[in-house]
Amino acid sequence: MSDDKVSIKDLLGLSDEDVAKPLPIPTDWSQPFWEGTKQHKLLMKKCANCGNIDHPPYLFCTDCMAEEHEWIEASGKGTLYSYAINSFGVPFPFWDDMPYVLAIIDLDEGPRVISNIVECDLERLENGMRLQVVFDDVTPEVTLPKWKPAG
Amino acid sequence: MGRGEFAIIGTGEVPCGNYPERSEFEMAYRVAKMAIEDSGIDKNEIGAVLAAGHIMSNPGCDYNTEMYFGRLPEAIGAKGCKIAASTISGGASSFSIMKTAEGILHSGETDTVLVVHAQRFSQFTTNEQAKFFAIAGSDLEWEVPYGMTYNALAAMVTQAYMNETGTTLEQVASVCVSDRKWACLQPNAMFNNKEITVEKVISSRTIAYPLTSLMCNVLADGGSAFIVTTAEKARKVCDKPVYFLGEASEFSHRLITRAKERDFGKWGAGFTPVFEKAYEAAGLGPDDMDIYQIYGSYPCIALMVMDAMGICEPGTAGELFERGDTWPGAKYPTSTNGEALSFGHTGTGCGFALLVETVRQLQGKAGKAQVPGARFAVKDCGGGAFMDIHATVLGNEIPG
Repeated sequence: MSDDKVSIKDLLGLSDEDVAKPLPIPTDWSQPFWEGTKQHKLLMKKCANCGNIDHPPYLFCTDCMAEEHEWIEASGKGTLYSYAINSFGVPFPFWDDMPYVLAIIDLDEGPRVISNIVECDLERLENGMRLQVVFDDVTPEVTLPKWKPAG
Repeated sequence: MGRGEFAIIGTGEVPCGNYPERSEFEMAYRVAKMAIEDSGIDKNEIGAVLAAGHIMSNPGCDYNTEMYFGRLPEAIGAKGCKIAASTISGGASSFSIMKTAEGILHSGETDTVLVVHAQRFSQFTTNEQAKFFAIAGSDLEWEVPYGMTYNALAAMVTQAYMNETGTTLEQVASVCVSDRKWACLQPNAMFNNKEITVEKVISSRTIAYPLTSLMCNVLADGGSAFIVTTAEKARKVCDKPVYFLGEASEFSHRLITRAKERDFGKWGAGFTPVFEKAYEAAGLGPDDMDIYQIYGSYPCIALMVMDAMGICEPGTAGELFERGDTWPGAKYPTSTNGEALSFGHTGTGCGFALLVETVRQLQGKAGKAQVPGARFAVKDCGGGAFMDIHATVLGNEIPG
């Protein structure tokens, strides 16, 4: 946020709670993913029975319903499939971030994710551009994987 | 469902817009009375009362609980009522509640079902609505922490669709123009007093690039109801029943990242078999339709659905809207109530609004929006993060 902007919190007299960013609340079966991001590793759940890579992970493989699985480390490389630039009408916690980029990213390993594109001029955004993961330590406990232009 | 086995014989609707003082129950109560009077039946003939739940819960006055615990059949004094229940699947509710009604009618327990919908968004603050619609179609763990919103979801779909099909932003905006033209003929539409132009749509404030404010639907308060019966009873009590001739469905995903068809430019082609199945069940084809009722909620989704309805090549629906082929008086009357973008978005109710409008059209009761001599119409609806699609073919006659 630039210095000349007034924060939504000050503008509307909001509480800290009103502007607190929502954080992911892991399930038992997604916990390893978030433990991975804390160590700046992008992990994917791979079915030990059929080899299907699921993201988001579910308790059972979405293909063969097997429970046995392993966590593999993804390359952190991907391609921009589609994007949007949120410029108005977002929940208060994201108000001061506008404009910010939401994107659908195709990971080289196959799965698709929703995330933010960061460290990128908005004019440079282009479908098909190569991206690499960056890890945003949003709290001491939670790290969100985000994406920036590769290279 | 057998072809023409069930029919709607009467409808009711209250104006859509900003009505904070009008409770959901009051709306449900009023539209129920209108539908009963419009159908000409005695209220004691109603054997089941089905309600589509409010999509955003309101703990202070829980309309959803009121409805599934039977406040409406008690209030209207439906002495023959046997079943009170709720069915909800977001924007797809009008379809899934019809499936529930069909099941009840099939069971033989009753031959008359009252179906109602009511929604009141204005009881919530703008931020509560923004928060709800950030999370409604999104995942709390995987999307919401990134500042995901419904508008951004639709914007990403639009951006990819335009990129892959060559559809222009002007063509996307043409959907909004067409919807507004129809809304201006509708007394119950939220935005019915002024037409808009492509230039105005594109130059309105950017909300989620590439979407501008006039490309984003507005949440509204509204409600509607209809009476559905067996065809046998419909013919006895109604001059012009509207028959369900063909239906088909497909579910794709909860999360947009897990859509079965990964190329959004091909979604229209992906929906095509659903419409083909519904047409086939009806014994009709796309050119037999007099009206094309599209529930898109965002202009790009309307293009994808039009791509699938069989009157243009998938990926080219933008040209059809741009030419004005969908306007009042044109070849393909489309979304004749103005749809979510101009009629107003009533959560679970957009599909209901389109359904009761379709019935009015096919009964010749659509007033200034009436498509002359309309006999057959095709309609879609869907819910969630564009999770599914349901196609319905309706007609005021059963084709021979």
